[in-house]
Formats: sequence, C-alpha cells, structure tokens
Amino acid sequence: MSLMNAMRLMREEGAMHGNTAEDGLQQQPVGHGYDRATAASAPAGHWCLAWQLGGARAPYSVLVDRRAFLAALLLLLGLLAASFAYLTMGSSALAPKAVLPALVGRGDLMAVFLVQELRLPRLLAACLTGAAFGVAGCLMQTLARNRLATPGIIGIDNGATAFAVASVIGLGVSLAPPAMALVGATTAAALTFGLAAGGGTRGYRFIVAGIGVGAVFGAITQLLLAKVHIDTANAAYPWTVGSLNARPAGAVMLLAVGLPLGLGTALWLTRALSLMRFSDAVASGLGLRVSQRRWQVLAVSVLLTGLAVSVAGPVGLVGLIGPEIARSLSSPRGVPVMASALAGALVMVLADLAGRVLLSPIEIPVGIVTAVVGGPWLLWILLRPASRNLA
Amino acid sequence: MYAARPSGLFQARRLSARLAGLLALLVLVCLASLLWGAGDVGPARAWAAITGQGDAEAQFVVGSLRLPRTLVGLVVGLALGVAGALLQAVTRNPLAEPGLLGVSAGAAFAVAVALVLGATATTMRIGVAQLGAMVGCLCVLGVARVSGAGNDPVRLVLAGAALTGLLLSLTSLLLLFDQRAADEIRFWIVGSLAGRRLEHLLAILPSLLLAGAIVLAVARPLAALSLGERVASGLGHRPGLIRLLVIVAVALLVGAATATAGPLAFVGLVVPFAARALAGPDIRRTLWLCLPLGPLMVITADIVSRLLVAPSELPLGVLTALCGAPVLVAVVRARRMPTL
Repeated sequence: MSLMNAMRLMREEGAMHGNTAEDGLQQQPVGHGYDRATAASAPAGHWCLAWQLGGARAPYSVLVDRRAFLAALLLLLGLLAASFAYLTMGSSALAPKAVLPALVGRGDLMAVFLVQELRLPRLLAACLTGAAFGVAGCLMQTLARNRLATPGIIGIDNGATAFAVASVIGLGVSLAPPAMALVGATTAAALTFGLAAGGGTRGYRFIVAGIGVGAVFGAITQLLLAKVHIDTANAAYPWTVGSLNARPAGAVMLLAVGLPLGLGTALWLTRALSLMRFSDAVASGLGLRVSQRRWQVLAVSVLLTGLAVSVAGPVGLVGLIGPEIARSLSSPRGVPVMASALAGALVMVLADLAGRVLLSPIEIPVGIVTAVVGGPWLLWILLRPASRNLA
Repeated sequence: MYAARPSGLFQARRLSARLAGLLALLVLVCLASLLWGAGDVGPARAWAAITGQGDAEAQFVVGSLRLPRTLVGLVVGLALGVAGALLQAVTRNPLAEPGLLGVSAGAAFAVAVALVLGATATTMRIGVAQLGAMVGCLCVLGVARVSGAGNDPVRLVLAGAALTGLLLSLTSLLLLFDQRAADEIRFWIVGSLAGRRLEHLLAILPSLLLAGAIVLAVARPLAALSLGERVASGLGHRPGLIRLLVIVAVALLVGAATATAGPLAFVGLVVPFAARALAGPDIRRTLWLCLPLGPLMVITADIVSRLLVAPSELPLGVLTALCGAPVLVAVVRARRMPTL
C-alpha cells in the first residue's frame, strides 16, 4: 500500500475518532473476527488500521508503511523547524520569541511587518514551489524509470522559462506568464519525448536529447532578452536564474490552487506509480492501463513544473534533490510522493534561507544556491559505481 | 601495396578538392563579414572602403571594427574546431566537446576568479583561462577513466553538463561579490566577438603556435590510438604521453579561444561532426577539414548575430547553441552510437 493513500485515510480516521494510529488499532470492535484477521496479518513493517464508518457493515482497513510514515513525519518536522528559522533570520534578525506573536499580528509593529508582509509570503512561495518541483521530479523519475530524468535536466524548465520570458517582454502575446509557462513546459516535454520516441525513455540517450532541447530553449531565452530594452530585460531577469525575490502574485495564487490538485492526483496515482517502476509487460500484466496512466503522470508533472517555474524560475535541481532525499529516507516499497513534496519544500526553504543569510547585504538567487549544492550531488550520482543506478 | 596506392591518392585528391572548396567558401564568408554589420554602413560603402576609396566613417568601421572581428572569429573558430576534434579522438567519444564537457566553463571560472582577485591585464587572463581549461580537461579525462563512464559516451556528456552547470553557477556566485568584475565580465561570459581588438589576437598567437606544433607532432600517433591502446603501443607509440600532449594542446586552444571570445558551446561538436561526414573517421584527414570549417561556422554565426536583431547584437553563444543542439540530438538519436 502506498504511503499517501494511507496517510490520507488515516487523517480521515483521525478526524472521525480523534485517535492516534495505535489507539485505532486497539479500539476495534472485538466482535468482528474479520478485523482481527486483518490486524493479525499486517505484513512486517506496516501498521494495519481498521475502522467502521457510521452504520456501514464492512469494516475499512488500510496498511500504513511504518517507515514511510515516519519519514514523512520527520520531513514535516524538519520543514516546520526550517520555516521557523526562515521567519526568524534575515538581514534584520528577530528574536525567536517575537516571531509567533508577530504571526498573529501582535507585538512590535516592525516585527509584524517583517513577518507578515515580507517573510511569510516568500516562505509560502518557497514551500509551494519546492513541493511542486519535488513532486514533478518524483513523477518524472518514476515515469522514465531513470533518476536523472527530472524536469530540470530534460529541458522542461527551460521551455517554461523561454515562454514565460516571451510573455513578459510582450512578444505580441499578452497571455499571463503562468499560462505561457505551462505552454512552454508542454512544448518542451512533447519535444523531448518525441525526440526520444525511438529509443524509449530508458537510459542516458533520452536525457541527452532533453539536454539538447533545454539548450535550444535556453538560447531562445537569451535571444528574447537580447532583443528588448534593458529595463524590460531586467524585469524578466529573475526568470532566467531562478529567484523568489520578485514573485508575481497571480502566479503564486495559481500555484496555490494547482499544487493541491496536482498533489492530489499524484497521490491518487501512487498505486499505479509503484507498479510502473516495473517493466511495461509486468505492469500491464498486473492490471495497470500503462499508457493511460503514463499520460496522466506526465500531465501532472508538466503542470506542476510549469506553475512552479512561473513563480520561481528554473530551480530544477530541487526536483532532483527532493525525491532523492525522500527515497533514501522512506521505504523502497512505494513511490514516496508525499515525502518528495515535503523534502522539496524543505530544500527550497533551506536554499532560499541560505541565499538570504550567507552574504547578508547581497542576496544569492535561490537557483544558484541549489545549483552549487545540487551539481556535486548530480556528479556523484553519475560517477559512483553503478550498483543502484535506477530509481 | 600497389592496389592500395591509387585509392589513397584518389582520396588525397578528393580531400584537397574539398579543402579548396571550403577555403573558397571561407573567403566569401570573411568578405561578407566585412561588408555587412549592425551599423548603418551598408555593403556598398563598405566595399568602397575595402577598395581604398569611401568616406572616413566607412573606412573606420571596416578597418577598425569589422576586420579585427573577422580575424578574431577566424582564429577562435580554428582553435575550437581543432580542439573539439582532438578531444573527441582522445576520449574516443563523438560527443566530447570542450563546451559540453566543462572545459570552457573551467576556463570561464578561472577568469572570474582572477578578476575577483584583482587581475585586469589581458595577457594574464589568457594564462589563467588556459590553466582553468587544463583543470577542466583533467577532470573530464579523470571522469572518463572512472570505470563504466568512459565506455558510455552519453554518460560522459551528462557528467560534463553537470560540471558545466556547477562551474557556471559558481562563476555567477563570484560575480555577485564583486560589481567591478561583474561589469568587466558581463559581455564576455555570454560569448561574443564584438569589440575584440588586434592586440587580443596577438596575445594569444604564441600559445596557438605551440598548440599547432603539438598537433602536428601528435596527429599520427593519435590516429594509431584510435585503433585501441594496445594496437597503438604495439605500433611503438606511448598512449600516456600522447594523451598528455593532446590535453595540453586542447587546454591551450580552448583557453585562448575562451579568453578571447568567451565560452562558446557546441562549435567543437558541430565542426568535427561535419568534418567526419565529409572525410571519414581518420583524424589526420578530419583535422585538415576542421581548419576551414571552424572559422566558417563561427564567422557565419557572427554575421547572423549582427543582422538578426539589427541595431543591437546577439550574443554569439546563443547562435552556436541554436545550431549545435540539434546536431547533439541527431548524434544521440542515431540508432548505433558511433564510437571513435
């Protein structure tokens, strides 16, 4: 059973009974022999949760992967701690005590302004974009069965950036940047997958075709920026390096709507995803409609990438690092979608915090921080002995 | 022996015919580069200036702006094309390219470090860039010798792309520190031939001559090396020494080209690719064809970069990427990856 379905069901259960997982297990009606059987047959490393809804006869039960649950919990705690640090630290540091009152509008006026007006929106944008990149990366890696196939590496980020920049500098099209970023992400994905159609998505050729597509779109971005007046070019600059400094409000709103949708769909797909890690023959033999599911996974990944790029620009390496952390923490049985989202958000928040704090008067764009951290990681994945090469 | 001879002669004749055709094309392109530009000195006025008449403005534009630029394009294209062919031969990988594998990025990073540390002189920059290119080359070959990665051409390119991304972001990080260095480097880092003067050319000439001498000495052993390391040592060559010499030559060439024109990606991929298509896989023949093909590509791209967005100019690196990325995809898509 995949982690996320389990967590979602568990949340419903918690709301209903107000219990923790273990309590739910103990408080089952003892009269049902069925329940005891399921509880007893929980495989090693899982919790089996069973409960009854209202007057329904058949009990519901769900398996929770213990390690995956703990990993998600750990990442969530890490994210909360990082968020607290994010709100506290900065060019003018706040006392840790002052942050929580300032969040609800109490305390020093300056602190309230700093937290509510400046840092909180940026923190939210970081969490949203990080989670979107993380989920998109995890989906794409599973789809291509290749841990290097993240949207940033196979050129989808660059495509979205090129189109977003085109709409910012007004190339005759007055569509909003998020919409154009989506179009660009779709175009780049179609190109990469179309070019790789002969060789399949396995192996490194697919990735190098993606690098080629990305190089073309990167050049197009430069071309567009070279054509316009310097002020317009400066307005479009954040999109080229990846920064949370100038976030368009509309794009953040759109991402805030799109991320739950995409994440929900991804969670709904987790079961299919964990089957898709096998070969197509095995997956369809187990009852999966492979090509249909593949389109759905690709669509979600492209949607999330496009929306996230329209907020923060190409910070694609988060899509590599986030799922990598999630995978090493959680169990290998399922595809860690939720853990990827949390890890992506955590990486993004930490990277932006580092970018704001390290060279304090100067702010390092978050794209550069992730590139400096993620580059060596990528090299290490490529060059280490090929024992666990595929995701 | 007798049977082989006429065919070899025939091949040599065909090669020299192609070489002559390419040289003629190169002369035409150089002329076009003198005639057309982003400014308002049109072809007619420029022609008058070339033939010795014409007004002062046209003579200035042609003589002091377009001529040095064309010459710089000639030298840079030559260096990058030859460096690409050498690197591909020594790694036996059709995708090995100084720009893709991080050699140019290494040179750019070294220049950025030097600028931040306070260097300004042009000659200093060349040495530093060559040092950085050398380090980049050693990284590439180190990676290629890690078990597994060397046998898979595509994996090497991926590692190079990762290295390039890392070095470029480190470079921009350095430039954040230092506004002066950022201003000095901004127009150089995207790759362009604009505003280069003849002094720059003279400064890189000695190292180019040295690299040329190395290439002449090493071409024959390199062709033997393409048959495999054992065959090469059986034929009396020393693979380790050859490899070292080639790396030195590549570093000299790429460092000089990068110091002059900024990091230009994909030239070293496209040029040997075209040369192999024209002359077959023998490095001794492809090197000859790379000589006119490299400048041909760079100068053509430069002309287009001047004309495309007319009063302003496009970075040259953009155009080489636009030409080169499709070639990269085509090579990768080829059903059977050619190994060198």
